[in-house]
Amino acid sequence: MTLSYRPGDSLAHRLDPRTKLAFQVAFAVAAFAHTTPKGLLALSGVAGVVLASSDVSAREALVEYRFVFPFLLAGPLLSAAALGPPWIRWQAGFDSLLASYRVVLVLFVSAAYLRTTPVRDSRAAIQHLVPGKAGQLLGTGVGFVFRFLPVLQADLRRIRDASSARLGDQRGLIDRMKLVSISGLSRALSRADRFALALRARCFSWNPTLPPLSFSRADVPVIVGSVGLLLWAII
Amino acid sequence: MIETRELVHRYGDEESPAAVDGVTLSIPDGEFVLLAGPNGSGKSTLVRHFNGLLEPDSGEVLVDGTPVTDDLVAARTRVGMVFQQPRDGFVAATVGADVAFGPENLGLAREEIDRRVEEALEAVNMRDRRDERIDELSGGERERVAIAGALAMDPDHLVLDEPFTGLDAPTRESVVEQLRSLKESGTGVVLVTHDLRDAFALADRIVALADGDVAVDASPEEARDRLPELGIRVPPKRETPREEP
Amino acid sequence: MSTDTASVELVGEETAENVARAALLAALTGAFAYVSFPNPLSPAPVSLQVLGVFLAGILLGAVWGGVSMALYLVTGAVGAPVFAGGSAGVGALLGPTGGYLWSYPVAAFAIGAIVHGGVRLRNRVPRGIPRLVGAMAVGTVVIYAFGVVGMSLVLGMTLQKAFVAGAAAFIPAEAFKMAAAIGVVRSDQITAE
Repeated sequence: MTLSYRPGDSLAHRLDPRTKLAFQVAFAVAAFAHTTPKGLLALSGVAGVVLASSDVSAREALVEYRFVFPFLLAGPLLSAAALGPPWIRWQAGFDSLLASYRVVLVLFVSAAYLRTTPVRDSRAAIQHLVPGKAGQLLGTGVGFVFRFLPVLQADLRRIRDASSARLGDQRGLIDRMKLVSISGLSRALSRADRFALALRARCFSWNPTLPPLSFSRADVPVIVGSVGLLLWAII
Repeated sequence: MIETRELVHRYGDEESPAAVDGVTLSIPDGEFVLLAGPNGSGKSTLVRHFNGLLEPDSGEVLVDGTPVTDDLVAARTRVGMVFQQPRDGFVAATVGADVAFGPENLGLAREEIDRRVEEALEAVNMRDRRDERIDELSGGERERVAIAGALAMDPDHLVLDEPFTGLDAPTRESVVEQLRSLKESGTGVVLVTHDLRDAFALADRIVALADGDVAVDASPEEARDRLPELGIRVPPKRETPREEP
Repeated sequence: MSTDTASVELVGEETAENVARAALLAALTGAFAYVSFPNPLSPAPVSLQVLGVFLAGILLGAVWGGVSMALYLVTGAVGAPVFAGGSAGVGALLGPTGGYLWSYPVAAFAIGAIVHGGVRLRNRVPRGIPRLVGAMAVGTVVIYAFGVVGMSLVLGMTLQKAFVAGAAAFIPAEAFKMAAAIGVVRSDQITAE
């Protein structure tokens, strides 16, 4: 992965995570509502401002999402192709091209969030935005997944290394998948048992002190902008 | 004060053998107890009753006079616990965020949480490591962070389940040092171990289990001669406190 | 003591265990996204991600399997590199392959409900092959239905063309994952109740 949180002092770094989440949603809604040359031109300008105020280059964002580009290209090409005369349907291809481009813009804005928002802020935003036990479950759960992802990745790497050291990679596909997943899963389940015990010993509760979050003056223009984008999308 | 009365615990139904079989024991605040016994003697099962992680099949467990099952939160704050393989008990990626987890669950004010995290990290000599990533710490440092996580609950007793497993000699020594300073600060310690050599000198009392019941409950010097017959190794007698070679 | 213990609402034992398992299986699904094998049937490599969805439904049941996959999505949305190719972000959920991701909680729920015969988790995971295969087949249909519809919406294509672009090359490999999942569930090493 190329894009993860990096400390900084850009405008976007100073925003409340709830503001950034709301802006992402508003931007995506606007992009899907105004998939026209004019609309996308305007949104390109907005996306440019977003990238500039979050220290992310367009290139970095594109590298992060490189795996979707085959699909973004296949869309317009396949849409333009017809199985009979006139063989090429320019209009359908063009519409799909606009749709692909709008995805690129949404990806830019998403990249800006990833670069400027630490996990604890996202977690806090979820716990503040989603009410009750559901919010508590999602917020803490997200923290737990972040915590264990690198641990389980290391488990799987060790399992694969040990297997290929004993020529496990000469076996059939299903056998190899089974081997990796049985060992990976049984380790994950025993970790889960120990983790649950530790959670209970540490008074895992439904009503903990939430991580602090507060809006600042910097959030105001972005919130106004998000509302503006939503209104523009609806009208 | 932790008390158990005729405590029985079975894994499975009434037919299955009792892992803990009628244990009556009381541990006053501030006491350093070594809880010894061979594998399968019921040590880990017993201590999991001290803060209500398990429920008795019969008998009862009291913390400061209140049955554990009546107030689990009180039991779990009075009796802190550090498990084997502490790595799987961490909830957050960084030291400070993990240590804050317990106090957060108690719903304390943010300033109080910060104060407790500072104090707990100070107690394990990790005060300036608050923002470091747990995965990048050494085994001994992780053990200390786990201890800090329990200390942040401000407990009277700290139970450590086989803390020396998988640690090399110098690291074991640093954990023993840690336990010594806990003892000096007045925190009671229950150290669950099958090998008494590391912390023998620190103990006020040794309790040895065999087949789910208390077989020896005595001062270290009295216990010394009776432990080998239970298959528990003790350090050789010396005039001076023992040093790692 | 300063702590007012009466105001603390503890998460119960069973729920704490389910939360831990849901989080670990979400993390495992994310870690599986990095594990890929060459595909004997197609140039697109086989990743184990979907196996995570199958296992979450089978082992955790409908409710917690669904919760586990919801955790997976939210964690990825806010920045954990758990989606295909180690990507992350809301953008991945709104991109051409976003429909596949949205399907995971639904698919895990459906698989769990079929395997356990309802939303309640049975004490032992049923090991009958027809039931497991049926559940995973339904799960696969859910995943591809969401995926194809999502791609058609996002890229402005017809459903048929979205199927050609996003599904046709990948479906055959699902059979391998089902076979692997059955092997995993019936393995003696997996002792999940």
